[in-house]
Amino acid sequence: MKSLFDSDIGLVGKVLDMQLQRQNVVTSNMANIKTPGYRARTLKFEDDLQAALGLDAKGKMSLTDHKHMPMVFDAEGFGPEWNKAFKPRIVHGEDRVDLDKEMATMAKTNLHYSALTTVIRSKFEGLKQIITEGQK
Amino acid sequence: MDFITALDMGASALSAERTHINIISMNLANAKTTRTQDGGPYRRRSVVMESIPVDLSFKKQMEGALDKELRGVHVQSIAVDQRPHKLVYEPSHPDANADGYVAYPDINVVEEMAALMTSQRGYEANVTTVDTIKQMYNKALEINR
Repeated sequence: MKSLFDSDIGLVGKVLDMQLQRQNVVTSNMANIKTPGYRARTLKFEDDLQAALGLDAKGKMSLTDHKHMPMVFDAEGFGPEWNKAFKPRIVHGEDRVDLDKEMATMAKTNLHYSALTTVIRSKFEGLKQIITEGQK
Repeated sequence: MDFITALDMGASALSAERTHINIISMNLANAKTTRTQDGGPYRRRSVVMESIPVDLSFKKQMEGALDKELRGVHVQSIAVDQRPHKLVYEPSHPDANADGYVAYPDINVVEEMAALMTSQRGYEANVTTVDTIKQMYNKALEINR
């Protein structure tokens, strides 16, 4: 699908959403740090996202003979369909909430989020530059 | 999946921790109380925390599968500790019994201080999560700058 915004802007947006959701899960764990019987939860999405994007190299045929056709990256497959195949999930842990672990996850998520905002911002700035340079 | 959910959960935890700190203050303040409205010496209190779904009726209709797992926290009840009173020999005290012993509440200052520190750390941890969410929110706003 051709459009002004290429599909990886949508992808970065989705991952930003997922990082925010991970932060929400961490907040939920932190809030219940003293609740008896509460088990820490985590958000798993990286593997599923890679599978949905076809980047995990699982289920692909391997070349066992030199006459086999080599596989090439198919740009058509990298379309908006990945969004439907992508199923993030929240996993219930078996341990109580570990404050250090949650803090580390939170710091990591925050850094990821900042980095991704920088990425998406530079994409938009690139577009803007093309538009302003084109009208000169 | 929004910033407000995280702030709601953080706020619920801050409120619960504050209630716990209030209860600890009450225990320490009443360490020597021998008369209460219920009669008899003061009894130590403790809190029972319970995890609750983050529910605002509108948000409940809009929430996705991932948001169903998110939990806030509240103080479900304030439990009365049934440990026996501490008997101290003070014959001159007006509440002394026939043998000259006064029943004081059995409040251990060290235990209360430890609980206070735990609550304080919990409070700080939740303040940190709220701060982080605010930083992320600002980053999201910077995308369009």
